[in-house]
Amino acid sequence: MIRALILVNDRLASSIALRYACRLANVSGMDLQTIYIEEPEHEDRPPGTGWVKSTWEKGLLVSAGTEISQLIDEEKPTCPTLRKPKMCVGDREAEILREIDEGSYDLFIEGSLYSFNQTNFMKKFGTKLYREVSCPILVVKNMVDIKQAVILIEDTTDLWSLIPQFFKIFEKANLKFDILHVKLQKPGRLSFKEGDKGTKAPEVKEADDITISAKKMLAEAGLSPQKTRMIREVPARIADSLKEYGLVVACLPRQTDRKNSMLELLSGVPSAVLVLWQED
Amino acid sequence: MKILVAVDQNPYSANTTNVVAKLAANTWANVTILGVLPRRSPTGKVAAISEEWNMEHPLPKALLEYQERFLRHFRKDECPYTQRDFGYQLIEVKKGVWDELYVAKSARKDLKVRIRLGNPVKEILAEAQEEEMDLIVIGCDHSRGCEWKGGGGVPQKVVNEATCSVLVTKEEKKVDKIVCCLDHDLVSQQSLEMINQMVTLHKAKLEIIGLTEGEELKAEVERKMDAILRYYTARGLEPWIEIVELASLDAFISQEARWGLMALWMGKRSMLEKVFPKAKVSKLIKGSEYSVLILR
Repeated sequence: MIRALILVNDRLASSIALRYACRLANVSGMDLQTIYIEEPEHEDRPPGTGWVKSTWEKGLLVSAGTEISQLIDEEKPTCPTLRKPKMCVGDREAEILREIDEGSYDLFIEGSLYSFNQTNFMKKFGTKLYREVSCPILVVKNMVDIKQAVILIEDTTDLWSLIPQFFKIFEKANLKFDILHVKLQKPGRLSFKEGDKGTKAPEVKEADDITISAKKMLAEAGLSPQKTRMIREVPARIADSLKEYGLVVACLPRQTDRKNSMLELLSGVPSAVLVLWQED
Repeated sequence: MKILVAVDQNPYSANTTNVVAKLAANTWANVTILGVLPRRSPTGKVAAISEEWNMEHPLPKALLEYQERFLRHFRKDECPYTQRDFGYQLIEVKKGVWDELYVAKSARKDLKVRIRLGNPVKEILAEAQEEEMDLIVIGCDHSRGCEWKGGGGVPQKVVNEATCSVLVTKEEKKVDKIVCCLDHDLVSQQSLEMINQMVTLHKAKLEIIGLTEGEELKAEVERKMDAILRYYTARGLEPWIEIVELASLDAFISQEARWGLMALWMGKRSMLEKVFPKAKVSKLIKGSEYSVLILR
């Protein structure tokens, strides 16, 4: 069974992520381990070591513990694979990386509210967590139905990175998905204007070589997409056209910066994004 | 719920009546259709309606037409606004004693038609206050910047001065999306239900927009949005959540106002009252092709 680690706290994004994860678990038979991390204030340093430090940490976790447990208990009836939270004190990113490594998790899940200003999503990819995490990351932005997913591929996508990671998570899932080959364009003179009523729909064509290869590799793994298409458009417009999908899957290189067009596309996706890592 | 429909004798008011009828069919609200006549007659004299105006005046005729139009949205046997059961019935007047009495059961819900004399804005607001209305619905001519034919900025002034929620209706268009903006946690159950009704009526998608001054929402706004999300999810709706910085609100609304009904949760604790002063609300109402709902 796939083991996923999900970060929980008292924020709305976490609440949405938890409920989404439960839906995904029901579709794919995923085991969900929750983790709560209390980050001490800068001036709060652990007094000493050993049992002194342990007592101090327990004190910090007392009030959060009840609230987080309540959150988990609310979802438990509809989410049998949901486990009680591991409670930690420390640096958020360091604790998550440590837990993922020690627990050999297959997936990390966190919530991030969909924002009109897409900078917050993009900033994540510059963090230590995203650069060093050993498993795919699912970023949940909205509480949506996961009836249909889409796998995005570019000309530069390494299918040998993407397909095995996708297969590992969804091998036994009852999930319908499409493949979409995206040819990302920079906004320019010939691009559409936002809100222009006369704008034509993004250019969509039937599958080409890379999508056929992807389809073949998936077939060898026993998975079959419903549709395969190619689209040539600016990232924002493609993101807007993906609203019907409850999950968008894409492969990104580890060292992704904000200029990456695929990252720009993913930041405009309002549902949930599964990031698979393309190793250099 | 009590709805005040402010109308005049122009086509946009007829459209407003259709919108209210559909809303009333779902909510069984008490409805008042209000027309306002100026105190001075066409001859320039101040006179009572019975002296200078009569039922041949366009407005009273229009009001009766709107009433009929409203009632046509209901099947006769299901209409909560018509009188029921006239006739003799045996009624138990005291234990063990029945009398044959003439019974006229009143309508389950009120549908009133009313005319007031005076300034349209003042009379609409006075009616809303005196009768403790929950919602004022008012139409406008979008081609003239959301105006009433007589001018005077009636819809905008009603929106700015009313203490209850106001729905400004435009031409009858399919609404694909309803976008609701809030930045505080004082959201009434009634307003939630109003949005629910709009979504059901239009079979539209629902977006809840949290407004922030920085990168993150205030804790109380987050909690309220979580509660709103759970409220609608329990009713089979799955709203999208989106965060918008107040600095980007203009750009966001310009984009969204073209695609659906815009609802703003205003109120004393709302930054929207400051960030979206009356001039901007007027601009939104003028600029939006779709209806605008100001929730209070």
